[in-house]
Amino acid sequence: MLRRAHVLVILVWAALLGGALRSRAFGLAQLSAPDQSAAERNLAVVVNLSNPVNDLTMADLRRVFLGERGHWQNGRRITLVMLEPGWPERDAVLSGIYRMNETEFNKHFLHGLFTGEVFVSPKTLSTPEGVRKFIFNVPGAIGYLRASDVDKTVKVIRIDERLPGDKGYKLHVPLRENR
Amino acid sequence: MGREKAEALPDTSSSPAQTWGRFSRYRSALLLFFIFCAVTVVGLFAIRDLRRTDMQEQNMYTGSVQSLHRIAALEYQTQETRRSTLYALSTADSNLHVKYADQSREADHLVSEGITAYLTNARTPNEADVGRRLEHDWSTYLSVRDEVLAEILEGSTKEAVDLDLTKGVESFDQVRKDLAQIERVYDQQASQQLSTVDATSRRTIIRVAGVLAITLIATIASVWTIQRIRMTGAIQLAKLQMEFVASVSHELRTPLAVISSAADNIADGLVTGANDIKKYGAAIQIQSRQMTELVDQILLFSATNDRTNQAAFRRLDVPKILDSVIEQTSELVRASGFRIELEIEPALPPVRGDASALARCLQNMVVNAVKYSGKSRWIGVRAFLSHSQLGGRREVQVAVRDRGIGIARTELDHVFEPFYRSPAVVAEQIHGTGLGLSVSQNIAEAMGGHLTVASELGAGSVFTLHLPVAEEPSSQVTGGIQVDGTTAK
Repeated sequence: MLRRAHVLVILVWAALLGGALRSRAFGLAQLSAPDQSAAERNLAVVVNLSNPVNDLTMADLRRVFLGERGHWQNGRRITLVMLEPGWPERDAVLSGIYRMNETEFNKHFLHGLFTGEVFVSPKTLSTPEGVRKFIFNVPGAIGYLRASDVDKTVKVIRIDERLPGDKGYKLHVPLRENR
Repeated sequence: MGREKAEALPDTSSSPAQTWGRFSRYRSALLLFFIFCAVTVVGLFAIRDLRRTDMQEQNMYTGSVQSLHRIAALEYQTQETRRSTLYALSTADSNLHVKYADQSREADHLVSEGITAYLTNARTPNEADVGRRLEHDWSTYLSVRDEVLAEILEGSTKEAVDLDLTKGVESFDQVRKDLAQIERVYDQQASQQLSTVDATSRRTIIRVAGVLAITLIATIASVWTIQRIRMTGAIQLAKLQMEFVASVSHELRTPLAVISSAADNIADGLVTGANDIKKYGAAIQIQSRQMTELVDQILLFSATNDRTNQAAFRRLDVPKILDSVIEQTSELVRASGFRIELEIEPALPPVRGDASALARCLQNMVVNAVKYSGKSRWIGVRAFLSHSQLGGRREVQVAVRDRGIGIARTELDHVFEPFYRSPAVVAEQIHGTGLGLSVSQNIAEAMGGHLTVASELGAGSVFTLHLPVAEEPSSQVTGGIQVDGTTAK
């Protein structure tokens, strides 16, 4: 009996050690299910890699997205990139940043551009990949992506000193639906 | 005649002239062999040149095709980079802007890879310089292109067009010039390779022509030489035969004249006394013997000349045969007032051959010495054991030496030829058929030996018979001759 117990202990240890090594080997590339879910849900605000801005307050971010600010600190013109209506990311931005619905959003820019109170007309792209490539090509562009869609070609900025995934981060998007 | 101590005789091995004589038999074959070697060597050079030319052509073709392909790909991708940027100018759709920007970037990646590959493969400093210039100019254009794309994507089409016209066109033109320069570099390299191939090809043609010329000349020379050798041989043989006929006629006419004259005198009743009749009879007898001897010599030559005859050889005791020969020629020697010094090495091993043929051979050598000894009246005969210079086999040598008129160096090559008679001998009216030495040589060769001569004009000659020692116990072997002119069975 004693010998069987020893063998069992060794097997348990081996399994634990193997699991630990596996998790170390895959590292960050393989997120656990909850992490993956969080990345899907977090909405990242992204800018061009050459943009010196690293973080914004939610208020500043709102001003930028509303088109009330025309240029970055380095003098580059701000180009706002939006996904087409229907995308959950767009809905999340409208509710989280603009605090508007589609109609109010359209009205805001129509009115603002007419009166000259808005300096930026948003560019509308059909896919998150298009958004990412647009931002990669335009030094003054700013847009949004799910955290899981972000890659090295764009830079994620902090909002109120928080990155997507940080505790207290305010921009979230519903889980991806099949489009 | 008893055995007397003979004085030391000189080395009687083959003279250089005789050696050359043996080689001269094969000179046609040797000539053809050398010609074949020469033609083969030159032909190999020509083949090597042809292969080299072929490889150069292949390399040139491959290199040119690859270079053209590389340049064409570079030109296409540079155009594609710019074209995609210009397409982006033609639309207001942001999604299409992104698509064209993407296409432009893909194309510019391919261009950058092409330039890197070009620089890696650059073999000359000129190529590397042009490549580096292209790399720099392409980088300059790309920075302008990025600005233009950014302006387009921002929606500032006018600014994008202005930027492209002021900077983009100029920098892209520079890129095109660089590509054209690379094309020129490739053209120059192709021209150089072409000239190299051309030079090699020309050299090959010259060599092939040389081979053909050499072959032609060599063939003509060979045919001419062979024909000349044949013609010379035929003329010489005809001349010798004519001389032989004349000589035989002369040799026959003299005894015939004596016999005829004696017969006429007896028939006319001019010879009456018994003593006279006896005297005439003796004269007829001597002349008849001379004629018989002459006819025998001719028949013997005919027999010994045919090597296909078969004969049974036996182990022969050379001293015994030599004694017999001395005995047979003693009457002639004594009558001519000669003295023979005979020296035979003790315990000489036997040789293999035909006894009567060997006796005839030695007899010819002794009679020859008597004929051409001049006034010295001395002949030395020595038999001894020695080793052959060719192969080192053991052989019994029999040297017959005289202190006579000797043989000129130029005639040494010819003394063993049938019917050959030295002009000096003819001038001195020494009678003969020119067959004696030839017969002896044939006999010696049939027994596996040979005959050599060493001579000095006015000092005398040494003829040496070389016969291989019969190493094995007596056994019947085939291949030989009999001196009576009949074929041995």
